[in-house]
Amino acid sequence: MEPQEAAGAAGGGGGGAGLLELELPRRGAGEAGAAVAVAAELEARRSGETRRLVLSRRLSGPLPAGLARWFPALEVLDVSGTGLAALGAELLELPRLRTLLAKNNRLGGPGALPKGLGQAPLARSLRVLNLSGNRFAELPAALLGLRGLQSLSLGGNRLHSIPPEIQALSSLEFLYLGGNFITSIPPELANLPSLSYLVLSDNKIQSIPPQLAQLHSLRSLSLHNNLLTYLPREILNLVHLEELSLRGNPLVVRFVRDLTYNPPSLLELAGRTMKTRNIPYAPSDLPGNLVRYLSLASNCPNPKCGGVYFDSCVRQIKFVDFCGKYRLPLMHYLCSPECSSPCSSASQSSTSQSESDSEDEAIVAAHRMQKVLLG
Amino acid sequence: MEQLVQTEVWKAQTLQELIQILHRLFSGDKVSVEEVQALMESYESNPVEWMKYAQFDQYRYTRNLVDKGNGKFNLMILCWGEGHGSSIHDHTDSHCFMKILQGNLKETLFEWPGKKGTGAMTKKSERVLEENQCAYINEKQIFHSTSSEHQERKYHLGMAADSIGLHRVENTSHTESAVSLHLYSPPFDSCNTFDQRTGHKHNVKMTFYSQFGERTPGATVVSQENN
Repeated sequence: MEPQEAAGAAGGGGGGAGLLELELPRRGAGEAGAAVAVAAELEARRSGETRRLVLSRRLSGPLPAGLARWFPALEVLDVSGTGLAALGAELLELPRLRTLLAKNNRLGGPGALPKGLGQAPLARSLRVLNLSGNRFAELPAALLGLRGLQSLSLGGNRLHSIPPEIQALSSLEFLYLGGNFITSIPPELANLPSLSYLVLSDNKIQSIPPQLAQLHSLRSLSLHNNLLTYLPREILNLVHLEELSLRGNPLVVRFVRDLTYNPPSLLELAGRTMKTRNIPYAPSDLPGNLVRYLSLASNCPNPKCGGVYFDSCVRQIKFVDFCGKYRLPLMHYLCSPECSSPCSSASQSSTSQSESDSEDEAIVAAHRMQKVLLG
Repeated sequence: MEQLVQTEVWKAQTLQELIQILHRLFSGDKVSVEEVQALMESYESNPVEWMKYAQFDQYRYTRNLVDKGNGKFNLMILCWGEGHGSSIHDHTDSHCFMKILQGNLKETLFEWPGKKGTGAMTKKSERVLEENQCAYINEKQIFHSTSSEHQERKYHLGMAADSIGLHRVENTSHTESAVSLHLYSPPFDSCNTFDQRTGHKHNVKMTFYSQFGERTPGATVVSQENN
């Protein structure tokens, strides 16, 4: 939500140099007639000083040609709820546009955004883009050329995924993707260094990549109404996180230790030995597939272990207090059942709740062990 | 609050008028819940009148004090960005009226957690409130026991109580922000928030983002919401 949009519904029309709000009555005439009427009225009210233009009536075609000539100082353009199916080439002519609001339209088909967006003046000037409530099934590639973009909203569209190329929007601070059909998050999202507000609520996300913990600037993360059962333990590294919404996820409440631990393969054991004993090797010493395998070693989080694992690990969920407000089920991967991982972090320590959980764990584990052994 | 013998119907043409009539209604010892609710509902939201109180925060919903009601009530405006929601909370024995000034808010009611506060909390019902609607939430949950006692008490006080006790309020829209007008009587500055997954409660202090249209000075307090 753009900080400068206070009440949302701006007051009446016409008036001051700062704001021009155009309200056109709907006529019964055909589409062509309506488009001409809008263009004519805009031209009649042209001004070299107008900074903000809010069009509230239906547009039958793209932005009228000439808009940039009539309002050369335009910084904020709001064409929300005008029925636009394509923004049109006129967008490329606007020399100073900082904010573009095009919510609740019919954008989403091919050509919704004009080609050449990355080379237009817009690419450097645009800071805020709101395309929520449209029909985008994928993040339009044209968008990725907007290098100066700080705030992007595609809430309430039809996105099924987030392209890894999103990392190109390097100035992004605010990313709203709530209310789509997203099933997974690309780790590349973590390469947005200034991201402070990330909204992924009301999607179909099953897991959070641990790389998201690299978003050091993140202050608010919205994950409510998804399909999360646990979170990666790395989330504790987000020390600046003030808001975290998790309601409406099937989060694990009781710990269930994974007792069906498969013993490691010979390959795994050999790999572990190579790594923990620091046995030197060169790419020419080994077949390519083994060199690749060795590069995939993960460190066991148990500080007393110092070991590594490849494919064979134990999954364990520990409940951790977060900021004194939440008890999060965090997933830990350990190299063997004997290991246990630290569950402390910057902002909290284990509470009696976690301890009683450990007792519960032991009881549950014992029962399951009985079941497993007795069949 | 108890019911007067006769309920009058008030109409507030402007926000200022609403505040004036509220002062009058709360000046005595007895206040009718129905009168207050009807009054709040009668005011047709006019953004120009409340715009100065509608100060949004990017990360969470805000509470903006409008009037202190001579100590008898607090009137405030809450601003909800897209997707912003509250934790499940009570109202510390106060009566609460919530009127939508712009957009829509979803209210979900919850059962009070069991004695030990363990186990996931049960949803009772949910509804979406639309512009100008005013909901009344009665906090006074003195009777936890039988529902028939509760029914009796509701009848005695003549309340058209829409909801009782614990609720979560959210702006579920991904495209529109929402603004609501809240009246609490008596005023309170702390309440309990509940973890939906465990029923555990946590007492939090409530703060104002702005008062009488002025941004409250000092660092933004980290929200105590759990949601």
